[in-house]
Amino acid sequence: MSNRDAELYQKMIDGDKQSLEALYDKYEKLLYSFVIKLSSDETLAEEVLQEVFIKLWTQKAKYDNTKGKFSSWLVTITRYTAIDQIRGNKKHNVSLQEETDVPEEQTQSTEDLVEWKEKSAVMKQAVQKLSDDQKQMVDLFYFKGLSQSKIAEQCNLPLGTVKGRLRLALKHLKEHVSALEGGIRDA
Amino acid sequence: MRNECDKVLDYFNDQLSENEKAQFEQHLESCSECREELEELRELTADLPFSSEPVDPPEGMKDRVLGAVFEEDEPVSNEEDPVVYMDEHREQKQEQVPKQSKRPWVVRGLAAALILSLVGNLYALTNNGQEQVSDPEPEPPQIEESTDQVAKRVQLKGENTQANATAAMIRQNEKELLTIQAEQLTPLQGEEVYQVWLIQGETPYRAGTFVANENGEGAVAFSMDQLPEDVEWDAVAVSKEPDANSETPQGEVVMSSSL
Ligand SMILES: [Zn+2]
Repeated sequence: MSNRDAELYQKMIDGDKQSLEALYDKYEKLLYSFVIKLSSDETLAEEVLQEVFIKLWTQKAKYDNTKGKFSSWLVTITRYTAIDQIRGNKKHNVSLQEETDVPEEQTQSTEDLVEWKEKSAVMKQAVQKLSDDQKQMVDLFYFKGLSQSKIAEQCNLPLGTVKGRLRLALKHLKEHVSALEGGIRDA
Repeated sequence: MRNECDKVLDYFNDQLSENEKAQFEQHLESCSECREELEELRELTADLPFSSEPVDPPEGMKDRVLGAVFEEDEPVSNEEDPVVYMDEHREQKQEQVPKQSKRPWVVRGLAAALILSLVGNLYALTNNGQEQVSDPEPEPPQIEESTDQVAKRVQLKGENTQANATAAMIRQNEKELLTIQAEQLTPLQGEEVYQVWLIQGETPYRAGTFVANENGEGAVAFSMDQLPEDVEWDAVAVSKEPDANSETPQGEVVMSSSL
């Protein structure tokens, strides 16, 4: 699967527009949904995707397949691009609102990306198993991309304890994921 | 002054100033603890994007995004910078992405329109027979803005191709010259040539012929006094022709631009 991505990426570097298009088709919805989760802003999400694919095409961001999966790299680029743009848009201040409204029915929506389909249920459940504090920590750090001092402020924590709390939350998350995945395998 | 090791989170979230970032990256080279922490953060967060609820992108987003993307310069393959650790957000600050450049499929649309209108065009054009197939060797025509006046200059691009060209209309001692400099051309076979067309309305006029050298470059300068005078040209296009004698485009339009 990721081999196919690396192949497409290589062709794209050689100037093949169809390969870029194929990568776009494959990841459009995941990246778009991801940026919506990060920003709750549709206009911004489209701008972010545009910027991400421009970075890909012009090789301002370069993928190196020795550094891991293409999909991980792509979402990382997307996250940074989004954080950067959100920061530029002052109106996007930190909000603690939960993503309650799910805009679309989830019928076949994840089918286009196997990886997403495989992981989404587990990830969502694993996040749900975290305590509220831990959820908030992950949200502020990863999805909101806040600085350590902002997180300390939001959570009423001394600056120095933020890192420890975050790591703990992330480790719990990982344990839940492993447990859930194990459960699936055993079933 | 904060201890460098306390900046891991802010580095991960790209919250440091350029200065701090550079400093921290230097620190990273000597501090394995920070490197491990970063690696761990990446690992532990890697699957979080998959927890996003699926949202359908708005209509037409793909065309808009890819349109803007392909308006950018072509990829540059031979850059030397090796990929360095965490460089995903390093280039962030350096680039300016043009906002809202939303003329996505103009070129594509034009090229398609050209093919349609040109294929159906049964006019036999008067054969002026005056232009020669010009070989790009040894030197493409130099566009000298200092002495000649460039009346107009456009970039020709096409769909599904790396080939591109600069077309310039140059006024030189009362004469008008159309120059084309093309690159990234695919090789020609047999008698094939690249034919330049100036288009007015639905009528294409031959405006120079060239071939590609082994580097995929080709160029031609065409004296426009062979063409009807005082015409407002709508577009310029380059097509690949079976030979140098096509009076109307027989082959595919490789690239084009409106004028
Ligand atoms: Zn350190």
